[in-house]
Amino acid sequence: MSDLAITAMQTELTRERSAIRSLRLVQTACILVIALVIVSPLLMLVVASLKDDRFQILADMGSFRAFWVSNPTLSNFWEVGNFSGELAFGRYLLNSLFILACTVGAGLVVNSMAGFVLAWGSLRGRALVLSLVIALYVIPQESIIMPLVIMVSRAGMTDSFAVQIVPWVASPLYIFLFYQFFAQLPKELFEAAEIDGASVFRIYRSIFLPLSLPALATVSILMGIESWNQYLWPTLVTQTDYARPIAVAIATFFGQDSIYWDRAMAASVLMMLPILALYLAFQRWFVSSFVGSAVKG
Amino acid sequence: MTLQQPALTATAALVRPARRRDRARLFQEIGMLAPAVMLLTIFLVVPFLLSFWTAMTNQPLVPRPTPVRFIGLTNFLRIFKDDLFWTSLWNVSRFTFWVIPVQCGLAFATALLLNQKLPLRNVFRGMFFLPAITSIVVVCVIWGTLFQYPTGPINQVIGFLSGGRIQPIDWLGDPNWAMFSIVLLSAWQAYGFQMIVYLAGLQGIPDELYDAARIDGANAFQRFWHVTMPGLRPTHVFVLVITTIQAFKLYTQVAILTQGGPKSSTETVVHYMVRTGFEEQKLGLASAVSVILFLIVLVIALLQRQLLRRFDV
Repeated sequence: MSDLAITAMQTELTRERSAIRSLRLVQTACILVIALVIVSPLLMLVVASLKDDRFQILADMGSFRAFWVSNPTLSNFWEVGNFSGELAFGRYLLNSLFILACTVGAGLVVNSMAGFVLAWGSLRGRALVLSLVIALYVIPQESIIMPLVIMVSRAGMTDSFAVQIVPWVASPLYIFLFYQFFAQLPKELFEAAEIDGASVFRIYRSIFLPLSLPALATVSILMGIESWNQYLWPTLVTQTDYARPIAVAIATFFGQDSIYWDRAMAASVLMMLPILALYLAFQRWFVSSFVGSAVKG
Repeated sequence: MTLQQPALTATAALVRPARRRDRARLFQEIGMLAPAVMLLTIFLVVPFLLSFWTAMTNQPLVPRPTPVRFIGLTNFLRIFKDDLFWTSLWNVSRFTFWVIPVQCGLAFATALLLNQKLPLRNVFRGMFFLPAITSIVVVCVIWGTLFQYPTGPINQVIGFLSGGRIQPIDWLGDPNWAMFSIVLLSAWQAYGFQMIVYLAGLQGIPDELYDAARIDGANAFQRFWHVTMPGLRPTHVFVLVITTIQAFKLYTQVAILTQGGPKSSTETVVHYMVRTGFEEQKLGLASAVSVILFLIVLVIALLQRQLLRRFDV
């Protein structure tokens, strides 16, 4: 090969390399701009919650001071974090946490048991039940909410914790996710345990459940977020502070003539903290759980 | 003969407890399935069927002494004659039309970027997913301040970038802008989910395809157009359908920030339903709206199945 050809190839290579480098530069710039758009509103929320003066919060909005607080104070949090009275966000937060814990706890048991029987049981109607469950997935919560309100008020369940927990424990989506997970585990697991004389419940409890940590994490996260963000249903079935969740309580800020942004921001940060802590602890699960629920199509 | 006798009794002895065990197993399975089936029946199937029945009655929210009457399709006819219903349907369609390019575009762009070998991409991925875990109520608090008129941050930024040529916009108070503002905050909140779906889709395209295209002399754009895009076809369908269904159920943002206003410019189907049912207390009428909503969602879901079948196989 002549020297000329080699130099030509080298210039070609350097050109390609510099093209890649400039492409990387553009991509990095893009990602930084998007990060700014995505994160700055959240940063602003946290910063504003540490400012005491609600008029100052709005005045600061137009400048860099929206992202800076010179003398941070937790007074907003003390103001809204009561457990009784007018700004009982401490209580609302606990209400929401309680509802979440019960919904997810009961949901894991009920849905995983059903998913297990549908995957490994010997009942004759299994396939039919499974296809019915999948069909039910199409029904949106919004379109059953009208009759459901009548049903629970006839049953005298309104304004309770139960009314916010029990209806959402069993869910076609989560039954299906568990079914899918259990069904792909090897047949030998079930057969070996069966030969050893273990009952179906025992096989589920001692062999399949300990193996299904990924599925349990996925369903916990999806159910948790769903329960945490419930809004329409609790506005319809809670009237007093007793069982009111924090999402509904924050929305009441908007009903006032002039909004106390300082308090609304502090309450919002309170609402974000638990889910943020969970997110940071289980980030890997979070992201993969959303994919898991999507792949199903 | 004599040899077979003990063998037979042995089998019989084995079979009998086995049968008993079978029955015990059956009961156990029924017991494990029962809680889910009962809950789904009471809280999903029954209200779903009831909604069809209630939709054909004059059921009020608060029980009245006069009995509830069956009135056939009158509720549906009344809804179809109500301009506000058509406005709400039109608004939701407008919302869908805007939110799909904004939300899915943002999701696709971020997924493409995160799929590159950029430094700190896991940190960015974690960051980009933050809005998705933010409750929509909190999102309303955040964007309620961002949209402040006339001196909110967004107006300030626009004023600064345009050198003061663009006048401040009353984002949530101007009928021409209100729905678009709802689109912006909804897309910001929800794009993270679609981003993850796209990332999974991108990772599902085998590297060999890219290598082959490179050997054939395809440049970056050609590789994107002839390898990435066809590989993502089922993902696109899925994302499109999920976003459309979400869009038709639009409620919380609107209920909190605009209450359907100004001038009904952000009235949505679900908001219309809740108002009819709980403010006007006409539950029969509201149930008819919920039946219509279900039918819309069903049609979209069936459409997805058809499209996916065409692309997948």
